[in-house]
Formats: sequence, structure tokens, C-alpha cells
Amino acid sequence: MITIELNGKQQIVPPGSAVTDLLSIIGSDEKSVAIVVNDEIIRPDKRSAHRLLEGDRVEILIFAGGG
Amino acid sequence: MDFLQLGSYTFSSHLILGTGKFSSATVMLEAVRASGAQLVTVALRRFNRDQPADDLFSPLRAVPGITLMPNTSGASTAAEAVRAANIARELSGSPFIKVEIHPNPQHLMPDPIETFEACRILAKEGFLVMPYIAADPVLAKRLEEVGCASVMPLGSAIGSGQGLATVEMLNIIIRESNIPVIVDAGLRSPSEAALAMEMGCGAVLVNSAVAVSDNPPAMAEAFAEAVSAGRKAFKAGLMSKSSLAIATSPLTAFLGAKV
Repeated sequence: MITIELNGKQQIVPPGSAVTDLLSIIGSDEKSVAIVVNDEIIRPDKRSAHRLLEGDRVEILIFAGGG
Repeated sequence: MDFLQLGSYTFSSHLILGTGKFSSATVMLEAVRASGAQLVTVALRRFNRDQPADDLFSPLRAVPGITLMPNTSGASTAAEAVRAANIARELSGSPFIKVEIHPNPQHLMPDPIETFEACRILAKEGFLVMPYIAADPVLAKRLEEVGCASVMPLGSAIGSGQGLATVEMLNIIIRESNIPVIVDAGLRSPSEAALAMEMGCGAVLVNSAVAVSDNPPAMAEAFAEAVSAGRKAFKAGLMSKSSLAIATSPLTAFLGAKV
């Protein structure tokens, strides 16, 4: 297993996990999130190919209520 | 038809609705529908698996005719706002971005220097930039010059319900602007929204006044009617003020007049 930082907290994922695997693990709807890995936006068509590495900083963002 | 023109986008509604502070997503969606708003603001937040109901993307996408305008709330510098804007555009599929940079949570007043810099960069990158600003005519003009789609001066502090405390400055901004002026923040009542539109605002942005009312859908509808009435009055042209009475009826004396 490898450890990444997900939204500021430690998260363990299997080695070789793609961004899409991480979304499945945490139960997130892929269509309604934006994903940033190490300050780089990962577009939907790149998520299944983007493998996570030990120590990666991942931000998963949604739209919530705001004025 | 009288449209709100923002960049190449046109909207028949002159009311923009915020989505914060509602008791539930269901109530918020009812209010959005009742308002007739076509431009709706949202905020970026970290995904939290324990609070899946926070996610408004799919519910809002299900409302026909809605364009999302994400804000950069949470950013305290231009660089953070630019980063937030790029992430938000990825998700919204909309070029609209409300630039909102307020470093002090006590008053939530927008930082004019960081806001200007963020807007300058984002306008160059092709965003339709909608900056939340203090009611400062000089800053408003500078933002127009760097290519913002509108300026959104505050009526009063965010969520304060103090109404159009900045009315004199708003009048100057409206007079000087060649882009829509949108009063954003501080409105409490539909009559204040009507007044803003009568003054010549292109739109008003309302959130708290609707969200924290006892009946948000009804209040949203009331704001929609007030905005529409105010806009019609502005287009019809208000009469000028006079310090003297000007009679509306003939003053010829006839009761008791000698013939």
C-alpha cells in the first residue's frame, strides 16, 4: 500500500492506483468533482491513466452552496 | 426583450441567486426555480464523504436554463483566486467566475489590490470576470479597463441586510460604467433590489435575504418581481425631482367661484 495526502489527510491506496480508483475507494461521483494532484488539474479524460505515487497531494473539490 | 448582456452571454433574468445558507438542497432548488434566475453562484469546497448532500453540482445541472458562476471564496490572494478559478472552470464548464477575495472574516470586505490583479489575469485567460468589490468608482473603472464582464459593488457587508448603504457611490459607478453594474451583497428586502434596478443596475445578486427567510421560494419570487419592476421603471424613465409642488389637476377655482 502507498500513502497519499487527500484533502489534507492521509489516505492509503493500493500501489498503482489511478485517480479513478481513488474516486471509487472514497465513493465519489466522478462527474461532479474537480481533481488536483500536486497542483495540476487532472481532467476527466486523463484520470484513468493518471497513477498515484507515494506522497502525492490530492485535492478533490465539489461545488457547494455559496453566494 | 430587455437582456442582461455579460460578454457574449445574454440573460432575460436580471436576478442572480446565490446558493449558500439554505436549509437544504431541496429548498435551494425550489428557490432557484421560483427566482427565474439563469445565473447561479456556487462555491468550491473539499469533497467530504460524510456530507454527500453538500454536492450541488448534479442537482443544479438538473435545472434547465441555469448557468453556473463559481466564486473564489476562500482565496485571500490573487494567485489563490486564479488557481480556484481554473479549478472551478474545469467543473462548471462555464467561463463565468465571481472573483471574491476577502481576507478578513470579521467584515468580509474585498481586497481591492488582490482583486484587481486576479481580474487582470483571468480576463486575459478568457474568463468572464465578475468581481465583488467595494463601491469604489475608481476601482470599478480600472476593472472595466482590464476587461471584466461586469463589476459587482457591495450594497453593504455580506449577509448584513443593511441594504444600499453605498447608494451615492453606486450612482457614480453606474453613471461611469460601460459594463453592467450588479449590486452584490447586503440586500435585505425586494424594495432595495427594485431601487437598485431603478438606479440603473444591470442586475442584483441576492443570497442571504432569500436563503434565511421563512419561505425562501416565496422570497425568491418576490425578489424576481421587484427586480423586474425596477428594471421596467428604469427603462421607462423616472420623472425628475422638484423642490416645488407641480399640480396634476387644474387649479382653476370653480367651487364657490362667482360667475
